[in-house]
Amino acid sequence: MRAMNAAEIRAALAEPIISVEDLVKVYRGGVRAVDGVSFEVKRGEIFGFLGPNGAGKTTTIMMLITLLRPTAGRGRVCGRDITVEPDEVRARIGYVSQDIAVDDTLTGRENLFLQGHLYHLTKDLIAERCREVLEMVDLTDRAGSRVSTYSGGMRKRLDIAGGLIHRPELLFLDEPTLGLDIQTRRRIWDYIRLLRDRENVTIFMTTHYMEEADQLCDRVAIIDHGKVAAIGSPSELKAGIGGDLLFVEVEERPVGPAPSPDVSTEGAEFSSFLAGIEGVSRVTVQDGRWVLVVSSGELAAPRVLSAVAGRGHTVRSLAMKKPTLDDVFLHYTGRALREDEGSSDFLRRRIGLRRARA
Amino acid sequence: MSTAARPVVKRGSTVMSRTFLVDTWWVAWREMKHFVGERVRVIMILVQPFIWLVLMGNLFQRMAMLPGFPARSYLDYMAPGVVTMVTLFGGIFGGMTIVWDRRLGYLNKLLAAPIARSAVVSGKMLAIGIQTSVQAAIIFGIAMFMGVTFKTGVLGAVMVIALAAILSTVFAGISLSFGAVITSHEALMAVMNFFTMPLMFTSNAMMPLSFMPGWLQTLAKINPLSYAINPMRSLFLTGWRPGELIQGVIILSLVSLALGVLATRLFKRSLA
Repeated sequence: MRAMNAAEIRAALAEPIISVEDLVKVYRGGVRAVDGVSFEVKRGEIFGFLGPNGAGKTTTIMMLITLLRPTAGRGRVCGRDITVEPDEVRARIGYVSQDIAVDDTLTGRENLFLQGHLYHLTKDLIAERCREVLEMVDLTDRAGSRVSTYSGGMRKRLDIAGGLIHRPELLFLDEPTLGLDIQTRRRIWDYIRLLRDRENVTIFMTTHYMEEADQLCDRVAIIDHGKVAAIGSPSELKAGIGGDLLFVEVEERPVGPAPSPDVSTEGAEFSSFLAGIEGVSRVTVQDGRWVLVVSSGELAAPRVLSAVAGRGHTVRSLAMKKPTLDDVFLHYTGRALREDEGSSDFLRRRIGLRRARA
Repeated sequence: MSTAARPVVKRGSTVMSRTFLVDTWWVAWREMKHFVGERVRVIMILVQPFIWLVLMGNLFQRMAMLPGFPARSYLDYMAPGVVTMVTLFGGIFGGMTIVWDRRLGYLNKLLAAPIARSAVVSGKMLAIGIQTSVQAAIIFGIAMFMGVTFKTGVLGAVMVIALAAILSTVFAGISLSFGAVITSHEALMAVMNFFTMPLMFTSNAMMPLSFMPGWLQTLAKINPLSYAINPMRSLFLTGWRPGELIQGVIILSLVSLALGVLATRLFKRSLA
């Protein structure tokens, strides 16, 4: 390989480490898992794909790591085209799947040793890197034990260590904390930050936990039904909602002598009444509560209370909240992030995807 | 970011072919670790052929008295049959590992590594070949212990084991080809079971060709098992027959190679 001059190195570093244009994946059977996705990931950032199960997150990762061929669109990873030079891409990236794919019958060290060989590292380098990554994930003491004796959290840490053995420029983490308890989850978050800060590894991760995306990611893409709904830093996305959230619950029967109709029966009218209150920019209904987007919760709350009372209604409850990524998701997709869990339609879609991927 | 911090990864498509053998070895290494790691399985491998030899050797003992039976005792006749039987069972379930790897997510880990796709197939075939060699050697030892006739000495024993190893990669190739397209291990198990008994009984592993009806003799002649059993039986009972031996090795190797290529193609296609 020809040595690059300084200008070329600068140009290579300035180039986004992932750039994706109109990526589409249609599985056999017609499931449109990824439906025209475009985004860029900068070198050194932690980039998160946030969306419910079945949104197309794993399918996108599978295309970026060259395990699935895109139906349409282009993707460049580490400066290489994913369809033209898949081997080159694979040599430069690390991948940790959501399945915790460590080999039970091998010891922790043997798992890493094997992975080092699969990435064509020299024997000395493998020994050195094994020591480093084991220390990083706190598994040095247990490295000689069979993985079948490990806890779920230890397995996950070992799996992540394996993804680092060849010092990739870019690490793909698919649902890195899926099914782990909260302490283990926080520890994994710490490792991911450590990786980025100390090893300068760019992280592309998927998650359906909004607090994970919020805590960990520099930038987040909200993905739903195979499409990117919004991209930005968590604070940008939250600011994009336009202010604080006010949850108002109103007694259905109005009090007082003036016979005004039920709130439930005059929904649209009551909604525009709420929207007319000073400082309220948006009104929606969620779980039988009115959700108001207001520029400042502290200022709007008393105004809303008096306006509703003035109309002859009683406020049963009022809650104020700074927006979270959950609210951002709701804002952009019209549904709550959690809503999908357990619904049969969602399960069918999810199982369909798993089958198609397998 | 210094370039020294980056790994020494050999890259490029020309290197792919050079690392093919190395990749094959590491895939096989993992399979061998599984093989050795299962203590119960190792014990069964020792016990099973012993039981077959004792049980079936006694069950069919009288058959050797039939006119035209080609061996002194049924046990003599049967020993190479048991070697191929164990080879058949060991090889035909080789595709199961790919189904398990897929289910556990390890297959994606292998595929995400910069190794040749074909190495996943060849590695598993190599591992089956090594495992079968071990099993064949054990059966051979047990057979000798039971006083089975063997005419060709140590070199002959090596040939028997080599034939078994090559034959096992043929079955592994069949099994991996199905494993590449069938993603449920229940379904693969059913398909493989469909193969084992017919392959067994359309060969001369248990019964001399001359005892079979004509149509069955024709089937037995195209059965890959026969290409291992015939030279093996000669090595046991009659002595060196180089023509038969070379023919067997060449045909089985070619079939094994073809199935390896087929499995790789099906496997690659299943990924798109």
